This record gives sequence, C-alpha cells and structure tokens, in this order.
Amino acid sequence: MPSERELQISPIVQESLMHNARTLQNLQSLTASLFGVSAGILGLESYSGFLFYIVFSLITSALFYAARVAPTSISSGKAPLDTSRYFVGAVEFWTGGLMSGLAGFILTWTLFYGLVSA
Amino acid sequence: MTQVPVQTIHRDPQLFYWILFPITIVMVLTGILRHYATVLMATAPKKLDQKTTREQRSLAHGISVRGNFHTLSKRSFNARRDVLITAYESGSYLKDPENQGQPPPNPMSDPSSMEGMMGMMKNQMAMIIPNTLIMSWINAFFSGYVIMKLPFPLTIKFKSMLQAGVATKDMDPRWMSSISWYFLCIFGLQSVFNFLLGSDNAANQMAQQMGPMAPQTAQMFGPGVDPNKQFLAEAENLAVIDHYSVLDDVEQRLLEGIRI
Repeated sequence: MPSERELQISPIVQESLMHNARTLQNLQSLTASLFGVSAGILGLESYSGFLFYIVFSLITSALFYAARVAPTSISSGKAPLDTSRYFVGAVEFWTGGLMSGLAGFILTWTLFYGLVSA
Repeated sequence: MTQVPVQTIHRDPQLFYWILFPITIVMVLTGILRHYATVLMATAPKKLDQKTTREQRSLAHGISVRGNFHTLSKRSFNARRDVLITAYESGSYLKDPENQGQPPPNPMSDPSSMEGMMGMMKNQMAMIIPNTLIMSWINAFFSGYVIMKLPFPLTIKFKSMLQAGVATKDMDPRWMSSISWYFLCIFGLQSVFNFLLGSDNAANQMAQQMGPMAPQTAQMFGPGVDPNKQFLAEAENLAVIDHYSVLDDVEQRLLEGIRI
C-alpha cells in the first residue's frame, strides 16, 4: 500500500477507478447470463454447471486482462498479471464477477435447462 | 446405497408459453417502466437562496482546503486558513447570524426537509406497488402450477419456498412453481437491465436497496444540524493542520528519477 505522501504526489482518481470497475462488472454480468444460456442448452446439472460457470468466468477475466489491461500495463513496467494500473484489488479483478453474476447465471441456466429438457 | 429413481413429471409444453414467458416479459417490462418512472419523477434540486448557498459553499471551501492543503504553498495556505478561521469564528458566513446560540429548529417543521422525505417515499412506492400487483397477479392466475425443474439439487428446506401453492408431499424440491420463477426473476434480471438500460439504471429494487441511500451532501447540510457548530469544528480542524507541500524535496525526487 502506498503511503499517504505518495498518494498525494501521484493521486488516484476515484471516478476513473469506478468507471473501470463498472466496465468490468457490466461485462461480467452480461457474460454470466450467456454462460447460463450455454449451460442450460448443454444440459449441465448441479456441480458441473457451477464448475462450468466458475471456469468460464475466470477465462473471461483472463481474456479481459489479455485484451484490455495487459498491453498498456506491461509496457508501463508492471509485472505480468498485475492489474494495479487500472484496478485496486487483484482479488476483486479476478473473482469479483463470480458473485455479482451468479444470480443472472442461475436465472438463464434454469430457464434454458427447463426449455431444453421439457 | 439405493439409487433413487429420478422423478419425471410430464408437463404440457403450453405451460411455457402461457406462464413462463408472460411472467418473464412482465418482469422485464416492469423493470423498464420503473426505470423511466424514476427518471421522470426525479425532482430537480431545489434552488437555494443566496445566503444558504454561501453558508454551504464556504463550509465546503474549508473542507477542500483541509483536504488539499498539500498542493498549496505555505504562504497561500496560511492566507486561506487565516481568512477562513476568522470568518468561521465570527460567524460572518452564517445564514442568519442573530440566532447563533439558539437550538436548531425541529426538522419535521422545516418544509424543505419534508420534500426530501417525499422523494424517498415516492421511490419506495415505485418499488412496492408493482411488486404487490405482480405478486397478486401471479397468485391469482398461476398458483398451483409446476412449471420447471431447477438444474441443481436443493435441500428439503426450500420446498415451502419454491413450491408455494403446490401441496404435494413427496415431490422433489427441485421442481418449482410459478411464484418461485418470479423470485428468480427479481434476483437475476439485473444483468438484463444492465444490458438494456445502461449500468446506472433504477430498474431493479435489489440494487437500490444495496446502494447508498442518500447523497452525502444531504447529510452534511441536512436539517437539524447547527451550521455554527459545523463552522467552529471546521475552524478547529483547519487550525491543527501541520502544513507541508508536495513540492518539498521535489529537486531530490527529480534527480533520483533521472538516469544517465
């Protein structure tokens, strides 16, 4: 954690942070619904469905990192897989979408599972 | 261990067209309607008279001087601090300086605060009324139907919630009735609204309950707060600041940053 003095020398703008986090969250909630659709069509049940969800949201985060964060972050001297240029918490970046997208995932999963297997 | 045979219930496929899709479509449309109703009902912030605005802005000025003192040079910080502290302590920024010592008025009697409460009431109403209507609509038309099977197993505790209106004892709790599809929609449609209306929409009541209830400024200048006391506290805060500037030692940092 940088000290208060360092924060004052190179300040962090809250609005930009929130904008980044919101962009990521929009992507994750949208993809979560789409994963629900595919899990339902594939007819996955119980653990395999949730596993599918977790694996694919992690893949989404990785793709987001590779496409949007990595090019500028690595060229500015950060280590690979370090998201601190745009996001505060690394844990939040990688797993934050899991919880927020879960409800949408279950909704579309149930819907398409019901439609396909009826 | 004996294998429990999987329960199968043969349902009419028409159930989907006449129960599932209507509920889903109504939920989505209600969310959109709620969003636009909130947008239309939002009242523009009331215009304040000059004295009140001066009172609030001068306090905000003090707070931002306190928060950003490190960007000011020592001399200009001292000048600002002295002016602000004198003005705060003499009460020259107050809206009405004569009732300085009196207790603050009762917040219920102030008409401006009633307005804020009315806005909150309106928001609450916009949530409660459609929910009650849809709940009773589903209960009246669709109660007692088993429409779907959840793709994951649940414990027996969920049975009363998911199978409300279907009093069948031995049915697997995975089967769900129309009212539980309604609940699933309440929780899960946020991503659909994000997609349709943009991320800061007012469509889903769940997001509103979790979000901040009132903006910060309303708290700071809310009714029942004595502005004179706020000013005195702010003057004290300004007086104890130990000033330094971000430009202290800037030459050292610059030289460290230069590599030959």
